[in-house]
Amino acid sequence: MRKVRLFCGLIGMSFAALGADFHVTILTTTDLERPIRGHSFAGIQTQIERPVHRAATLALFESQTSYNTFDVKPVLTVLDLDSTREYRSQLSAIHPNSLVIVDTPEQTFVELALVLNELNLTTINVRHTNPDLRENLCLETLYHTIPSERMYFDALVQFLIHSTWRKVLVVHGPSEIDHTRANTLNDSLSKFGADVSDIREFTLSHHPDDRDKNKPEYLTGGASYDVVVVIDTARDFGRYFQYRTRRARPVVGDVGLSPRSWHRTLERYGAPQLNERYRSFDHTAQLPASEAMSDAEFATWSAIKLVTNSLNTIATVDRPIKDGPLNVSSILKHPDAQVDLYKGSRGSIRRWNQQLRQPILLATADAVIAVAPLPKFLHPQHYVDTLGLDEPESTCQLN
Amino acid sequence: MVCLNRTLNNALLAIVYVTMTAFQSVFGFEAFITNERSGDLVSINHKGEIVHVQPICNRPRGMVKGLGENQLLIACSDDHQVLAFNIQNRTIERTFDNLHGAMTLAIHRPTHRLFVTNEGQSQATVIDLQTGETLAVLPTGLEPDGIAVTADGTQIFVASENAGLVHAFDASSYKQTAVIVTHLRPRRVALLEDKLWVSSEMGSRIEIFSTTTFQKVGDVIFAPKGFRSEQMTPVDILFDQTGTLAFVALGSANHVAFVDVKSLEIEKYIVVGRRAWGLGLSPDNHSLIVLNGLSDDFTIIDIESRRPRITRQAGLIPHAIEVFER
Repeated sequence: MRKVRLFCGLIGMSFAALGADFHVTILTTTDLERPIRGHSFAGIQTQIERPVHRAATLALFESQTSYNTFDVKPVLTVLDLDSTREYRSQLSAIHPNSLVIVDTPEQTFVELALVLNELNLTTINVRHTNPDLRENLCLETLYHTIPSERMYFDALVQFLIHSTWRKVLVVHGPSEIDHTRANTLNDSLSKFGADVSDIREFTLSHHPDDRDKNKPEYLTGGASYDVVVVIDTARDFGRYFQYRTRRARPVVGDVGLSPRSWHRTLERYGAPQLNERYRSFDHTAQLPASEAMSDAEFATWSAIKLVTNSLNTIATVDRPIKDGPLNVSSILKHPDAQVDLYKGSRGSIRRWNQQLRQPILLATADAVIAVAPLPKFLHPQHYVDTLGLDEPESTCQLN
Repeated sequence: MVCLNRTLNNALLAIVYVTMTAFQSVFGFEAFITNERSGDLVSINHKGEIVHVQPICNRPRGMVKGLGENQLLIACSDDHQVLAFNIQNRTIERTFDNLHGAMTLAIHRPTHRLFVTNEGQSQATVIDLQTGETLAVLPTGLEPDGIAVTADGTQIFVASENAGLVHAFDASSYKQTAVIVTHLRPRRVALLEDKLWVSSEMGSRIEIFSTTTFQKVGDVIFAPKGFRSEQMTPVDILFDQTGTLAFVALGSANHVAFVDVKSLEIEKYIVVGRRAWGLGLSPDNHSLIVLNGLSDDFTIIDIESRRPRITRQAGLIPHAIEVFER
């Protein structure tokens, strides 16, 4: 009986009894967000951060034909948590087979991930690049579709080495996160054999005593380097480095050429069609051509598409379609879980720390300059695994 | 002196060999290549020389030989139309309009029907080439690309890249008959007898389905030594005239695979230019022409010796090729 049903599912003659719900829940804590996300001091917009809801809707919208074929019905719920109340009771409202996409600040994310793990709910990190969440938090139910900081920096450093810009001047901000990220960058630089010319810290102070630290000309003087890597998580000061370095050298990192998981100007791999769809699929809220998914939105889209595409790739015999809800957990655990990322190479899950492996774009504001892994960076198992912490290095060994 | 003689001998032998190779392809041909970005139609001869460059339209992509002997039908994606181009006097004979995002074409000559995928519209359109009338609009998944019609004109197959599905339609009632689930990003479909070959660009494989039961009957997974499977991104599929050999352009792997149709064994991988996409076959069945989308060139492969013969510059982003006997 089971066989017959699977056969029918395969060629798309759906039986009424075959229906399966695909539950997707987005968790937010809007009361904890900074009032103006993505704005630096004085309301100057330096980066755009939209809630991930639009990207989730797009992913479900564009797979409608597939859902019809597999007789799957997507159910999207947005749960905005009240941070003043205990989370556990609020989370109990989530469907047990739901794909839970968490779009909250990092500290809340960690709290929620722990509770969600106890509740055995499949949880997706779409926003936080912190390698600690992969390496130390390392939860059975937790997946990361946003690249880790190490993947981003490994991609950037591969590009530097590939361009023979081996001598690197690192400039970072005073915040704790900037320090941590500078350390991660350092790991990437030594992984690929770059030479660190110097590591310098800038300050936002305009005091004359601080001029060695607040003027890019001084901060980049008295050293020999091929390229400057700027780390400025808050996007406060880094954007003043381009065209103001002592030596005529390119600026990369958080400004200039940046590692990104998605970009509005990616021309190949079908990306223009995805970008066009993202802007226009919602007829009531179309976006201008300058807009595209942020990395967090792309991670959200990727997570839902990973489940959807895996309906195709997981072998016929164990297609996870049954009556009732789709078993999201068993789909993501399956070795054939794969996703078409519109980046020229399919995405899949790293079994050891449940990070989505994916190519990383190196982009300026208006062009994708390269796609990492760069040529000649080879890996014995999987060529994208030259980006990020590889299985032998990872402290998280889940599967 | 002996040494010089030997060199001369070798040189003579080389000349004899080259002449013989040249004479092997006795049938001349003229092949037409659409170039997506330069918006032109480049024609080449059997020696790989560029014969003519014809500015044609905005983003020309799919092509198919038309009804007349000298007619070439060209999908102009950004003009939302299909052109009928006369290759003899190099003029546009006719246009078929309102074909949104026209991408890939298929033709059934006995019933003078043209089948067009409309990228961005989740549909394919069937038109009558004599009257220009739209006969049907076939709903597909998102990003329809490859399209094929059976030789007897009874069945239509359309691959939807985003959906990972091939939709099958009855070609007389235009009703959907089946939805075939494929691996990731199905691109092109090709028919050989009662088998449908589908290239899965992100699945690094060809899947073969029965056109009667719609069941999968085989697959060819590309994983040559020294490559990672993810780098194999097959697009175009072409069969030789005897139906014993299939050619598959492997995209980012910069290779073309020769596949034995019967055993489904991969016989050989041949290196070509960057992102090999479009494929064409010479009328004498001796030469395979491969379009390389990222390096803007084409490679002519001698099928018998399984060696690339020549690589030359095409236009910008060469997409599709049609070969005419000359």
